[in-house]
Amino acid sequence: MRLRYYIVRRVLLFIPVLIGLSVITFVISHMVPGDPVGLAAGPGATPQQLDALRRSYGMDKPFPLQYLQYMLNALHGDFGRSMMSGHSVWDDLRAFFPNTLELVVLAMLIALVIGIPLGIVSAVWRDKWPDQLSRIFALGSISMPAFWLAIVLQLVLSMTLHVLPVGGIYDSRSTMPTLHTGFLLVDTLLNADPAAFGLALQHTILPAVTLALGPIAFIMRILRADVLETLSSDWVKMVRANGMPERVILFKYVLKNSLIATVSVFGFIVGYSLGGSVVIETVFDWPGVGLYAVHSAIALDFQPVMGVTLLIGLLFLVVNLATDLTYGVLDPRIRYG
Amino acid sequence: MSLDAEKHERLSELFSAYCRGRISRRDFVRGAAAIGGLTALQALLTACAAPSPATSAAPTSAAAAGAAPTSAAPTAAAAAATPVPPGATQLTATQAPSKLAPQRLVYAGGQDAPTIDPSDRTDYSIGALSMQVYDRLFRYEGGWPQPIDPCLCTKYEASPDGKEWTLHLTDTAKFHDGSPVTAEAVQFSINRTLQLQKPQANSLLPIMNAQSVQTPDQYTVKITLTQPYSELPRVLVQGIMNPKLVKDNDGGDNGATWLQSHEAGSGPFTIKNWTVGSAYELDAVPEYWQGWPGASRLAGFTWKIVRENTSQRIGLISKEFDVADTLSADDLPQLDAQPHLNSAVNYGILTGYTKLNDQKEPTNNADFRHFLAYAFDYEAFKQVVNGYAQILTGVIPQGIPYFDASVGGFKTDLDQAKQYLAKTPWANGGLTLDYVYVTGLSFEKQIGEIWLSQLSKFNINVNLIPKVWPDIVAGCKTPDSSPNMNMIFTGYNVTDQWFFYQWYSPNWDRQTGGDFNTCSFTKDPNFNGLVEKVRATTDETEKKNLYRDLQTMIHNQVPDIPIYVQPNILGFANRVQGYKYFGAISVDFWRLWLDDSKAMVKPS
Repeated sequence: MRLRYYIVRRVLLFIPVLIGLSVITFVISHMVPGDPVGLAAGPGATPQQLDALRRSYGMDKPFPLQYLQYMLNALHGDFGRSMMSGHSVWDDLRAFFPNTLELVVLAMLIALVIGIPLGIVSAVWRDKWPDQLSRIFALGSISMPAFWLAIVLQLVLSMTLHVLPVGGIYDSRSTMPTLHTGFLLVDTLLNADPAAFGLALQHTILPAVTLALGPIAFIMRILRADVLETLSSDWVKMVRANGMPERVILFKYVLKNSLIATVSVFGFIVGYSLGGSVVIETVFDWPGVGLYAVHSAIALDFQPVMGVTLLIGLLFLVVNLATDLTYGVLDPRIRYG
Repeated sequence: MSLDAEKHERLSELFSAYCRGRISRRDFVRGAAAIGGLTALQALLTACAAPSPATSAAPTSAAAAGAAPTSAAPTAAAAAATPVPPGATQLTATQAPSKLAPQRLVYAGGQDAPTIDPSDRTDYSIGALSMQVYDRLFRYEGGWPQPIDPCLCTKYEASPDGKEWTLHLTDTAKFHDGSPVTAEAVQFSINRTLQLQKPQANSLLPIMNAQSVQTPDQYTVKITLTQPYSELPRVLVQGIMNPKLVKDNDGGDNGATWLQSHEAGSGPFTIKNWTVGSAYELDAVPEYWQGWPGASRLAGFTWKIVRENTSQRIGLISKEFDVADTLSADDLPQLDAQPHLNSAVNYGILTGYTKLNDQKEPTNNADFRHFLAYAFDYEAFKQVVNGYAQILTGVIPQGIPYFDASVGGFKTDLDQAKQYLAKTPWANGGLTLDYVYVTGLSFEKQIGEIWLSQLSKFNINVNLIPKVWPDIVAGCKTPDSSPNMNMIFTGYNVTDQWFFYQWYSPNWDRQTGGDFNTCSFTKDPNFNGLVEKVRATTDETEKKNLYRDLQTMIHNQVPDIPIYVQPNILGFANRVQGYKYFGAISVDFWRLWLDDSKAMVKPS
């Protein structure tokens, strides 16, 4: 009951946060210098064309009225149209967001599968060669610029070894499978088409690995520190003294007690990756929301910028809530109220 | 040439390439095996097929794939059959039979095409894709400078004042649903473009209105312009739509949303799959009414969006892509070193000008502008871009019709520069000029650095200001908001537009201000009068003289410093055949085909 009340309260708090976010984004996107109308109308546009375009996007109205109109439309699911492409922002988000989500989910799975064991290994073999190796790996992963790493991976795995494609979400020489949900990997499975699934997965591997390297390093280092702290606690010494096997101590008790900080960081990384994987999306031509947001922002196409900001903001809130709820699972002493 | 002779020639080419070390032994064996395999396949097909002279004349598997259009030259035939009245312009087309089996081509395009609506935007990617699914009244892709070849319009006539135009359409063109392309479709398409007022309408709105296009009969279009315009065939570039399909999918916005990812055309290709922001797959229409001009044709092509040069280069090398556009000069050595790749570097219309604000001190002083024109180090810039720049030898690029070489351009001459500077109130320098360029465009920054270096010799400082493009566009509205120097790239297919859009003052001296083309803010009533006159002149001799006068005026007034024409760099797999440069960034897929036997043979 208390948990349900907590969730409802947190969900209700989303509303003022999203309104605040929308106000800030709307003000900033309308205050920056630039002429999106002139840009969209193209060179040689007549004054009548410019006026018509301005009117059709409500830009002839006072600023507060524009904001109110935008929010009223957004409540009805209408996030406006891109001034550059004429596309409905909602349709664009529906097309691009699944690509980003699939990429981020796969990258985070890779990060967890590699980061957690490496974190434990480096803690257990503290200052031994596995720890030193993982330290070098972590330092390298964080220090290497993502775009450089992406290009190196393309050069080695695509150009030289020909084992993985250079970019895109699907094979250039095959027909794109029919999409039902918008999630390519999911849809190829739903279509019961393992060959198409394989092709889609091949295209996801390089960007996902590149995106995962930073999070692997973060997870590994944070988990290592927490595992070390837990291992040095009195209760661990006691269970060891009682003769409990080291494997059980480590995986049943120590790991669970060391995951709180990792979960916090992981939640942040997931939220950040959903909106911030622009570099990866650019190098691998991955049609996701990050790339969409950047192209829209460069062109001062404010309606897509607003749409993406609200979507990513909402996702951040959801991920934060999920992270907070996970604390309770990991540590029963944590109570929600 | 007989097939045996052709095979022999291919084998010889392969062997020669192997002997010269251009291909490896493995590639030679592969190529030879492919030719051998083809021979076996041909033998099998010949054995199975009914013996007829026609089959033996074109015996490749293309025939089985339905590639050889028997009515390959309907337009040419129709055009030839129609008597040409005096004063009318007769257009002719050439056709060739297909031989090789059609294959799919993968094109790595550097730009997304967010819509394929022929009434919408004019981005190069949209234009390149749109002209594959929509036929236009004319074709312009036959070479550079661009000719006007027939497509839907087989001949046209213009009144001497360039105000009334009669276009005669072919009666053989069919939309993809089988319905004929009629004058009504042309009227509908042009009126829709005028009504939507999107960038595609920008060159039509000043000369046409909703009543301009009339249809005296099913295959005749009569256009009455609101003001004379002699270059009409060059601006009627939009695709012709199937009115019924567009009306059926109106959706309350004149079909705009539907046409973003669907087509209503009659062109050589049709949309197979349109995945927004990722890839666009098009299939060939084998029985395309105008036939296929090459030795074979494509089965279809995929326009894959690959924005990064590095990814394009890697994809070409790893054989993932067949063609890539918008490559950088830095990619060329690596591409040309590959035995299966070649490249094309051509100079078209995209021209870089340092635009000078003619209404603001000190660039409002004609002597100061001359000083700048002589002070810039043009050759230094060419060296900076490894030679891949065509320095302008006039005020417009050489390939543009009516370019007059006698007008001349500017060369670095510091003595001349000094003399001009001495005539200005700033003989000893002591100034700072703002130079604005697009954030992240290194070549624009490099031009700024050359300005900085050259002008420092005259005690003039240059403030290099990077700005994002929308910010630059906003700054170009009025002389007050614009800096002294703006680095702008622009280009037009129609000669008068170079003068009309850049230096014709009514395009900026108005309530809504100007755009990035007009940011020199030139104001000369004599020049404006000449522009209006040349736009209305149909007499070729007079036009030539007027264009020479216009170029001379611009050269003498130096509203801008013309610097260079940017190269269009494309990378090709050797097996891609039929490419012809026509001044654009992309290719005309209609003319291309793939020939695997040439995979290891670089074009001479």
